[in-house]
Amino acid sequence: MSCAEYELLIALYVEGDLPAGEADAIEAHLESCHRCREVAAELGESQAALKALRADSVENQVFQDIRREVLRRLPATRATVVWPKYAIAATLVMALFAGWLWHLRPAASLPAASLEVRPIAPLISAPPVAPARAQQAVASLPRLRKHHRHTVPAFKSEPLLVKMLTDDPQVVIYWLIDQNGG
Amino acid sequence: MQELALTMAADCIDAQEPEFARLVKRAKAGDTAAFEAILVRYERQVLLTALRLLNRNLEDAKDAAQQVFLRLHRSLGQLDESRHFASWLYRITVNVCRDVQRARARRPTAPLEEAGEPAVSESVEETLRKREQMRMIYAALATLPERERAAIALRDLEGLETKEVARILGCSEVTVRSQISNGRVKIRNFVKRRQKGVS
Repeated sequence: MSCAEYELLIALYVEGDLPAGEADAIEAHLESCHRCREVAAELGESQAALKALRADSVENQVFQDIRREVLRRLPATRATVVWPKYAIAATLVMALFAGWLWHLRPAASLPAASLEVRPIAPLISAPPVAPARAQQAVASLPRLRKHHRHTVPAFKSEPLLVKMLTDDPQVVIYWLIDQNGG
Repeated sequence: MQELALTMAADCIDAQEPEFARLVKRAKAGDTAAFEAILVRYERQVLLTALRLLNRNLEDAKDAAQQVFLRLHRSLGQLDESRHFASWLYRITVNVCRDVQRARARRPTAPLEEAGEPAVSESVEETLRKREQMRMIYAALATLPERERAAIALRDLEGLETKEVARILGCSEVTVRSQISNGRVKIRNFVKRRQKGVS
């Protein structure tokens, strides 16, 4: 290995950046090479001067200027980037909520269905009847059904108001639900 | 004037620290005070790194630091709290400084602006000597290619491990070692030439 090649390794050696094995080899070379010892000494000096920059200083006012300027420019950044995220999230939540309500809608008519079933129960438990009377009873069924349809009470109630809070305190979603299914 | 010691890698506060993680969470939720607390915590790291990468041009470094924090704010939503926050910020700083430097290369060169002076608690001669030495090293850094300067700034001035530098710069440790080695030799040669020129 030439001294020029050693120079690059010495640059790592002076800061302890070489693995033990390689560092030993460099030390052995330095003992026998006067020129490379000079290089090592010069690199040590330039590295010390370089690391003196660690103590570099900046006036406190500079940091205050940066802080002020960054904070001044923040609202515009938020308005263009963050707000649409909330809007998209809110729309998705509303769509899911609407879908859920739609899914629940048939369940709201269950009371009416049970009202229609009720007259069938006495028919099952009734004692056997003559065929003529049975035909009469069957003939009366449509009328019964019709009658019960008329007697199903209308499902009336006040509209339900749902208030949805989001992460953004400025965004509150109100959802007005017509419980009559309208 | 305030004496600012460099923030060393070992002292960098990780985003995994619970208190800091809470701060990030609040900032993500739009809490400006929390974001300002993050800014205050990392402003020295960002500005001093920018100064070193931008040949101590204060205006450029300030501009870069502002861009870094605005970019941080825009990226808060995507910020993975399990990642090492300081490293992530170093990477943004290096990238922003690269952009600033390229923009500067397209416009006429302004004279180097002084960002401040070393702390004055010594003789005038000593202060002048240190100031001159600092100018010389900054001038030496300015001669390095972009990647070598970044590697030297992060390894020798920020005190980061080679592995960490490689992660920040997005290259292998072998490449970083080569950049550091070449950079150090060039700085040494620059200093030697200057000293010969003076004497």
